[in-house]
Amino acid sequence: MISAARGLRDIRVLLIEDNPGDVRLTEEAFRAAEAHVSLHAVVDGVEAMDYLKQSGAFALAPRPDVILLDLNLPRMSGSEVLAKVKQDESLKAIPVVVLTTSVAETDIFRCYELHANCYVSKPVQLEAFENVVKSISDFWVKTAKLPRTAHVR
Amino acid sequence: MVQGAASSVATGRRQYAVGSPPAGAKRRNADSHETATTSASEDRYRGLLEAAPDAMVVVNQISEIVLLNLQAERQFGYRRDELLGQPVTNIIPDGFAERLVADGLRSPEVALAQQIGTGIELAARRKDGSSFPIEIMLSPLHSAEGLLVTAAIRDISGRKAAEETLLDTVKELNRSNAELEQFAYVASHDLQEPLRMVASYVQLLSRRYQGKLDADADDFISFAVDGANRMQRLIQDLLLYSRVTTSAQELVETSSEQALEQALVNLTGAIETTGAKVTHDSLPTVLADELQLIQLFQNLVGNAIKYRNAGVPRVHVSASKNGGGKWMFAVKDNGIGIDPQYFDRIFGMFQRLHKRDEFTGTGIGLAICKKIVERHGGSISVESNPGQGSTFRFDLMRSGIRS
Repeated sequence: MISAARGLRDIRVLLIEDNPGDVRLTEEAFRAAEAHVSLHAVVDGVEAMDYLKQSGAFALAPRPDVILLDLNLPRMSGSEVLAKVKQDESLKAIPVVVLTTSVAETDIFRCYELHANCYVSKPVQLEAFENVVKSISDFWVKTAKLPRTAHVR
Repeated sequence: MVQGAASSVATGRRQYAVGSPPAGAKRRNADSHETATTSASEDRYRGLLEAAPDAMVVVNQISEIVLLNLQAERQFGYRRDELLGQPVTNIIPDGFAERLVADGLRSPEVALAQQIGTGIELAARRKDGSSFPIEIMLSPLHSAEGLLVTAAIRDISGRKAAEETLLDTVKELNRSNAELEQFAYVASHDLQEPLRMVASYVQLLSRRYQGKLDADADDFISFAVDGANRMQRLIQDLLLYSRVTTSAQELVETSSEQALEQALVNLTGAIETTGAKVTHDSLPTVLADELQLIQLFQNLVGNAIKYRNAGVPRVHVSASKNGGGKWMFAVKDNGIGIDPQYFDRIFGMFQRLHKRDEFTGTGIGLAICKKIVERHGGSISVESNPGQGSTFRFDLMRSGIRS
């Protein structure tokens, strides 16, 4: 029963990404990695916070197990989302994987300072991108133990 | 020495009286053409003053103007009689005038130093109150009334204006260069995003539908994939080129031998595939940005291996001292060589000499080399005989010597 715990349902991944082409590419890459994930995408920081706080249209949104976060987002930037999530008692336990094209040292440092769980840069080449998504899946979906429920203190 | 140069001048008493100055009105007759009471040597001195291209003003020990030339009248907009006997502070700023006299009288050695030196720059006042930049040179003048100071005053408005124009031009050039760098970086960086989409999806198309549509579709997709790949390489190279400036590090003491060795590690694939023999002399420590020096060696040695003849590619890297505190490096190969008519062109952006199916590449490697070497204060050149190999030379500053 304990060993079956992970098998109860797919790992829920919330992808915060404004480019539909990237969303689809990420879906394809997860599929290629044969990862058991249910991927939900939101298009900007404001929508992401609504989803996570289950407000408005997202009242029934399930709590994600992992967040994949792009930095360059309209309305509310990725680093703002990161800061909000990591300051929120009910959300801060959710691992946040920053997935962005930026390789700027300042972005990398800032994200870890805001308690990102890891920072991954999006490669330009398709195959390299697929490998990155596979690595994320291998570690965060298949290897790491994730907090499955929110424990509000 | 100074005395010899200026010579002792016997002066007319009225003209050079040191002490209480006669009123300007009384001096109206004190004109340089009034020769009855002046000696021959004073005439000579006046002749010299009038012939001088600069405004000449002679001042006594209490800062009064005792003699001036026509140039001085013109420059300051006064008639001669309006200045004679007046404080020199009327035409040059307070404070400086006192110093002028003090400095001029201090000692012949100091005065001599000022004579020889570039002079002192300051602002002067015209009669109408307007000011203009001048350069002053002082020299002592021994007269019968004691030491006087001769000031040669040059209007440097023209030179100042030219200097300012030059400075403005340099500033403008730097600004536009910086803007161009920024543009290249932003353009290539932002272009990369949509291109990533195009390239990824045509690759997905090709992977999933190759052989499932028809021959035309396969052709079209493969052209699209090829175009997208080349565009990606171009953009990445353009970014690399603009980063020579935007990611530049300070020039520090760097072992060029270690930089070369790292470059060779990065080229392991090409070296093993071609069986290239890369050798080098003992190489010096230079002032360089290490990452850029690695990049430089990597591009030059990489090219030497890439543009090879049949047979084992041989590359040799050496360095020799040249004048001016620099090391001249040479990267010599036994490759296909370069036609001399292309020697300049190969260092330009996106310049290629070969068809795509002969040699791949974006044609930016040597442009990056040139930019790196120039950023290090050196220059790069090539010598070659087609069919017999090429030698690329560049110079770098020796460590411990800063320009």
